[in-house]
Amino acid sequence: MEHIELFFKSIFIDNMVFATFLGMCSYLAVSKKVSTAVGLGAAVIFVLAITVPLNWLLDQYLLQPGALSWLGEEYASYDLSFLSFIMFIATIATMVQLVEIVVEKFSPSSYNSLGIFLPLIAVNCAILGGSLFMQSREIPTLGLATTYGIGSGIGWFLAILAIAAIREKIRYSNVPPALRGLGITFIITGLMAIGFMSFGGMLTGGDEEAPKEEKTAKVDSKKDNKEVLANNIKVNE
Amino acid sequence: MGLLSKKDAKLITDPLADNNPITIQVLGICSALAITAELKASIVMAVSVMAVLAIGNVVISLMRNIIPSKIRIIVQLVVVAALVIIVDQVLKAFAYELSKTLSVFVGLIITNCIIMGRFEAFALANKPWRSFLDGIGNAAGYGLILIIVGFFRELLGSGTLLGFKVLGDPIEKTGLYAIGYENNGFMLLSPMALIVVGIIIWIQRTKNTALIEDH
Amino acid sequence: MENRTDKNSYTIIFAIVMVLIVGSLLAFTASSLKPNIAENKRLEKQQNILYAMGVNENDETSANFVSTDKAPELFKKYIKKQLVIQDGKVTEDDEAYLIDVKKEQANAKSGKARRLPLLEGEKDGKTFYIAPIRGKGLWDAIWAYVAMDENMVIQGAYFDHKGETPGLGANIKQRFFMDDFIGEHLLDASNNFKGIDVSKSNADPKNEDKTDNEVDAIAGATITGNGVAAMIKSDLKLYVPFFKNLKNN
Repeated sequence: MEHIELFFKSIFIDNMVFATFLGMCSYLAVSKKVSTAVGLGAAVIFVLAITVPLNWLLDQYLLQPGALSWLGEEYASYDLSFLSFIMFIATIATMVQLVEIVVEKFSPSSYNSLGIFLPLIAVNCAILGGSLFMQSREIPTLGLATTYGIGSGIGWFLAILAIAAIREKIRYSNVPPALRGLGITFIITGLMAIGFMSFGGMLTGGDEEAPKEEKTAKVDSKKDNKEVLANNIKVNE
Repeated sequence: MGLLSKKDAKLITDPLADNNPITIQVLGICSALAITAELKASIVMAVSVMAVLAIGNVVISLMRNIIPSKIRIIVQLVVVAALVIIVDQVLKAFAYELSKTLSVFVGLIITNCIIMGRFEAFALANKPWRSFLDGIGNAAGYGLILIIVGFFRELLGSGTLLGFKVLGDPIEKTGLYAIGYENNGFMLLSPMALIVVGIIIWIQRTKNTALIEDH
Repeated sequence: MENRTDKNSYTIIFAIVMVLIVGSLLAFTASSLKPNIAENKRLEKQQNILYAMGVNENDETSANFVSTDKAPELFKKYIKKQLVIQDGKVTEDDEAYLIDVKKEQANAKSGKARRLPLLEGEKDGKTFYIAPIRGKGLWDAIWAYVAMDENMVIQGAYFDHKGETPGLGANIKQRFFMDDFIGEHLLDASNNFKGIDVSKSNADPKNEDKTDNEVDAIAGATITGNGVAAMIKSDLKLYVPFFKNLKNN
């Protein structure tokens, strides 16, 4: 149950792109075509699913104040938390570099289309953000950390898939020339984020005295989201 | 221009408009959204990024011939992260107040893709002095957008600028509020930052039609 | 032509050298600056606690601490007793204010007894009870020092955060938010613990109703606000038995 709750929470309520605005750069730049978006999205899920639990282990057994106590009592007072940033980043960068080497070797075509953005996964703030959220929200077990990593990855994947689908469709619309491309993408993302905000009431605002209007708003936005997803599926077909 | 050749000067002026990191290169968006609800935070972030980017660019440029290409990403990230952490620790020890103001930005600076982006795209292939200028220029272009967005969000969202109540007091109903003006709290939410940047792009590309994308 | 820097051996040596240099550099700065940083943190705690009980240099709009050189002296002057509550037993401890709330919360989670620090201060003949509390905001930790009287009516509060959004959640450490808490009741009309909600809809922007267990929220900072309310509810609740005892005696 815990796992399911965290999983859906990290996909919808704490969606990396729409709720915390992390991983925007690659989200905006690689969302022109659904096929490349799927590639990058899958890479993000993969990297998050590996780095979050890995960093959880690092945090638990190396970085937290008192984490070194497994070495013996005399080490219990060490506090290496100032190293978190650099350790997390090193883990992530190593993973990304590995992914880059593997992709370049086995699929040069997707390597070419992802271009500069493959190395940029390393600074895709969604990835580091995942690890830092894991640390600051004090996720208790390795299993939950993995769930959280996969969930946030899927959330990011959904977001980039949705915007890529919309961008493919909007090509046939009469957008003012100066807004074409990046401009309209920014604005659509803003609107989608406003829609996603209504998910916020689902778990956090579970107070009994929550006003009724909020509930209807939730239902509406769910519908919207289904429509977006439906669009995606159509485009994918 | 005595100090800067024409080519060098272009390194600074280009990113301010026609090759702006945010509106054209699509770098450093996350932080542009996260911290622009307030003008002061935008300015602090712009200055910090300028310092880190300029120094980082020089360091990477000095190391460009000895960095093994296979692990260049790790090297770049470690350099920035180490730089930022050391500065953060020194500030914590000797200027605690200042460090508290800046601590929020530490994470945002390290993961700011504008820094990695410029390392990859410029510093790895250019001499230190030119890399330094590139860092200054790009950070300035980035800061410019941040400050514009911060200005509008704070003014329309809270009715203040740098914390000063320029439009009167919303609770006491003075100034503009006396004639029925209300703050638009929506401007403070992050989605509005996206929309403001979208509008900036719109204006910029209307003026310079060469930048328009053909889908 | 193979580049010298593409060789595996070179890559490995480079990586090792880099790790050694960066590692020792970081370890050196961290260990040489550690005493300074610890001292700064200690002074900050004293300043925060004094701030909560109204010993500060506030001007009309901004929150100002007493200066760091005066803090230890004033701390001695105003803080009369430092208590630790554990399993309902109250003991005195001169370094209770240094107790790490985060560690104690973790201890409580793993089933160990939590030590609750409570500082007793006196100013102008009035007694203050100051409790440190800690919770989560949108991005990272938030914490506060809350000064109460014996009826659990808030007399002052200092909020702080690690990384809330500037201009939104970060505003919990602004006067307009913190001052709203002064005079708020933590207990409801029938003396049961209720906490204080950070409410978006209490229609009381000037915060004139002190017994409604609500303060006005910051626009655009819902999650941080919820975090503040949750932290007050969960952490200050633990002190209720102490205050009940206090009244009965």
